[in-house]
Formats: sequence, structure tokens, C-alpha cells
Amino acid sequence: MEGPARTDEDDDDQEDEDEEEERARWMERATHMAQEALENGEVPVGCLMVYNNKIVGMGRNEVNETKNATRHAEMVAIDQVLNWCLRRGKNPTEVFQRTVLYVTVEPCIMCAAALRIMRIPLVVYGCQNERFGGCGSVLNISSDDLPNTGTAFQCIPGHRAKEAVEMLKTFYKQENPNAPKSKVRKLDGHKR
Amino acid sequence: MKKMEQVQCPVDQHGEGNLVPDPELSSWEALPVLPDHQTQGVELVWAYAIPVLDKKKTSRLVKEVSAVYPLVGQGHLKRVRTCPDKTSPHALEILLCLASPGRDTVEGVRSLSELLPDGQVDRCDLGEPYLVHVPAHPPLTRAQFEEAKRHWPTAFHENKHISSALQGLLFSKEDKAKMQTYMEKAIHTARQGAEKGMKAVGAVVVDPATEDVLAVGHDCSSASNPLLHATMVCIDLVAQRQGRGAYSFNAFPACTISPSGDRAIPSASKSIQPGVMRKFESRRDGLPYICTGYDLYVTSEPCVMCAMALLHSRIQRVFYGASSPDGALGTRYKIHSKEDLNHHFEVFRGILETECCSLDQKKQGQQCGSSQL
Repeated sequence: MEGPARTDEDDDDQEDEDEEEERARWMERATHMAQEALENGEVPVGCLMVYNNKIVGMGRNEVNETKNATRHAEMVAIDQVLNWCLRRGKNPTEVFQRTVLYVTVEPCIMCAAALRIMRIPLVVYGCQNERFGGCGSVLNISSDDLPNTGTAFQCIPGHRAKEAVEMLKTFYKQENPNAPKSKVRKLDGHKR
Repeated sequence: MKKMEQVQCPVDQHGEGNLVPDPELSSWEALPVLPDHQTQGVELVWAYAIPVLDKKKTSRLVKEVSAVYPLVGQGHLKRVRTCPDKTSPHALEILLCLASPGRDTVEGVRSLSELLPDGQVDRCDLGEPYLVHVPAHPPLTRAQFEEAKRHWPTAFHENKHISSALQGLLFSKEDKAKMQTYMEKAIHTARQGAEKGMKAVGAVVVDPATEDVLAVGHDCSSASNPLLHATMVCIDLVAQRQGRGAYSFNAFPACTISPSGDRAIPSASKSIQPGVMRKFESRRDGLPYICTGYDLYVTSEPCVMCAMALLHSRIQRVFYGASSPDGALGTRYKIHSKEDLNHHFEVFRGILETECCSLDQKKQGQQCGSSQL
């Protein structure tokens, strides 16, 4: 591919590096959330929502503690952002339309649909979600033509993917030490 | 002449708050929403068939041919058929192997010596091979079987459950009466929600083993929480029955739970506030997964979010009234029967369809699905 003039390329590289650095910073925070989930016996998925360079919502998987299988990290974070809007008298639609989601694992089909309904434009994520992924792995909810389900969103995958996978592996290893309990524990698993 | 009736989904004539008059049970049908591979036509592939010149050698030939081409994965295809052409000099034909789609059909048919090169099969009792169409997969329904066997003799193990579903024989009159009662409850709840200014969608969770209504909820979504669809509300209400949950629905008294036998119901909490969640210490217990074995009755087809939420919650069956344009349990996706996913459940549409269609029209415009329009 033909590159632009040398100086432009340097600028682009600098911009890319800045963007990359910023993403790495947010993804590190998301990874901490996933770690917290792991420590609480939840599937290690963590995320944060950034609006105007500020964290307006954070979440980690809370399925076990709420006994509600829909309490994935993204759903928890969406509720936090809504609460943030309420406290500051902001219009949620306007806020969500300019919010970026950073999440350690590809959003599942349910969360991808929820993100569409909220009209979040961009999702930066770590590893693929082979079992439930809604951004290409199982279905393409992020980009499919669904005129009555919010708007499509863009994805940037692969940030700190290795770490995200490692945590999931740790989770499923600790979930499985002895066979007898595995039946119930297996049912707790949501995102892998 | 009187004007033709043209409204398929009539707008509610009774005014908000009125109950739908009990319709006859025969006015609606519970239609199974089956996975594509059960409803599609038969997929055909090319295969080689060879005429058997000496009928008496057939069993030996089948044995030898099967050793060379075991037809792994095509267990539904019978090896031998009677030649469909009655004027043919030979009576039987053996299925040899599948053709390779690119090569055999484009570059011409392979000869007997090419297909059976070494001495494993005595070729002198076989005629020249030719291409035939055979069904690629085992037939799942009687309709598929009837079509499949016109091309090549096929084994068929009828799935009685699917057959009954397709024939509308799955539910007795008694079952239908119960289903109608549950859906009427969902419709009633939808109207209660509409009175509060919500979208008129209602849902009911039932334990079919005990016939108990466990939770009743309506759409609670608004600008301050766009995700509280009726199904999401019901899933949280079931969690609340087990002493947990994430939301408070005190502002919506129509959203209720029945007392659970052995579990304490959490004390009343703050009025509904998006984002405010009750916190519980992490604790594990041996309870079954949240909606395992339960049925959901919902007035309109769940969206992608709700359909996947039901899958995560391990629902057993979903009954809905009206289809939705982006619906994920039949219209746009069939999330309940997607093979890659780790849980599958049964879905039936059309329960009190007319009444359900008329529910949400004022706010939604033509929300009614394509099912009967």
C-alpha cells in the first residue's frame, strides 16, 4: 500500500501511539475489574465506560451474587452510567452516544444487543468470546441490520487479550478442582 | 355491500384497563418455532450409483463396496435400491460414494475402474457408474422424509415430539386453556404497565411442574433505563424470589412475585432508581440455575437482548403472542435453537395473537409481526 508523505506518516504514527497508549491505560483498569470478579468467584469479565476522557461507569460480572444471569459486566456498567446521568441531570442518550466501552472479553449476544439499544458507538475489547460472542464469534449483533434495535457499533478487538484469556483459564481451573461440585459450578459459567 | 374487514390486528376497542373478553380457545394456535434444519427442504448432493448386473451377487458386492467406501456420516442412505427405470435390464443399483462436487460434475463422470481401481471388488458384476442426487442429511420430519426418499432410499427415525408439534397435537384442550390463562395474565399486566405510561408488553414466569405463577412483570423501560424490557424485569423478579435480584420495582406494583416456599423474600427496598443495585455478599449455594425448568409467557416476541437473557437464565419454554420486527425467537434469529449455543429451549408463537397484537399499537405503530399478516 502506498503511504502518504513521510511527515504525515510520522504524525499518524504518533497519533496511533497516543491512542494505543490511552487504550492500554483503560484496558488496564478493565483488567483490574475482571481480577476483582475473579476474586469474588464470578466469571472474570471487567469493563469501564469512558465519556469525555472520564470513567462514568464500571462493571464486573455479578451473576452469582445477584442470582440474575443477566448481570454481566456491561449491564452493570450501563446501569452505573444511567445513574451518573441521573445524578448530573444529563441526557443518557447524549452521553451514551459519545461513550466508549472498554471490556476484557468480547460482549456476548445479550450485551451486544444492550449496547446497540444504548447507542454506544465504539467497543474496545480483549479476547474473543467463542461461546457467546455477539460481535462476530457466534452472531454479528454489533453490525447486523436491526432497524428496531438501536444502532450498530464498531469494535476494536485484541487489547490485552492474553491477560483476559489467562484470567478465564484461572477461573475455570479453580471452578473445577473436584468433580462433585462441578455440576452446579458449570452452570454458573457465562462468559468464556 | 358491507365494507370488508381488513384490520388483522385490531386496535383495542375496549379502552385501556378493560380486560380482553375471553376468546374461544379455537381462535388461536400455538405454533412451534422450529430450527431451520427442521423446516427447510432437503439438501441434495451428487453421488455415484452403479447398476448390479447379477442380482444374486448383491450382498457380496455391498460388503466389498462398503469396505472401500464406508459412507461415514451418510448412515441415513441405504446402499441398494430398486432401479427406478422399470425397462432397465438390471433390477438393482448400489450406492458407491459421494461425488466430489467440483471435479465429478464439471470434469465428467469417473469410470468404474477409476472409482474401484484395485482388486478389492470384483467389477465384472457391476455396470458403469452414473451420478445420482442423494439427500445430504438424515430427514428430521415426515415431510423431509417423503421428499428425501424420492431421490434415494433413506432411513427415517421419526421424532414424535417434532411431528406432534408440526401437526399441532402437542397441547391438549386442557393445556391450551391453561396457556390462555397465563397469557391473559401477561396481557393484563401489559395493560397495567401501559396505564403507567410504559410500553404495553407483559410477561409471566410459570413453573409448569406446579402450575404456579412465579413472577409477573411489564415493560418498565424509559429514558432513564431503556433496558428494563418485560422479560428482563421477570428474570430479575425470579432472582428476587430467591432472595437476590438487582432492581427494585416498588414504583411498579403490577410487577410482582409469588412467595417462594423456602426462601425469604427480601424486605422492601428503595424506590426504583436506575443503577441502584442491592449488594449481597458473594455466596454459593446449590440451587438450580435461575429459570431452569420454567416457562415464560410474553405478549410479544423477545428482542435479541431478552432472548439471550432467557438463554443465559436456562428457561425451558417460551410462549409469545405477537411477532416483533427484530424478534430473536423466530423472526430475525432463532437464538433458542442455535447449535453453537450451550442451551436450547422450545418456543411457541401465536398464543392469543390477536389480543397481543392489539396491545402495543398506540405506541409502537405496526409492531405486529409478519406471522399472520
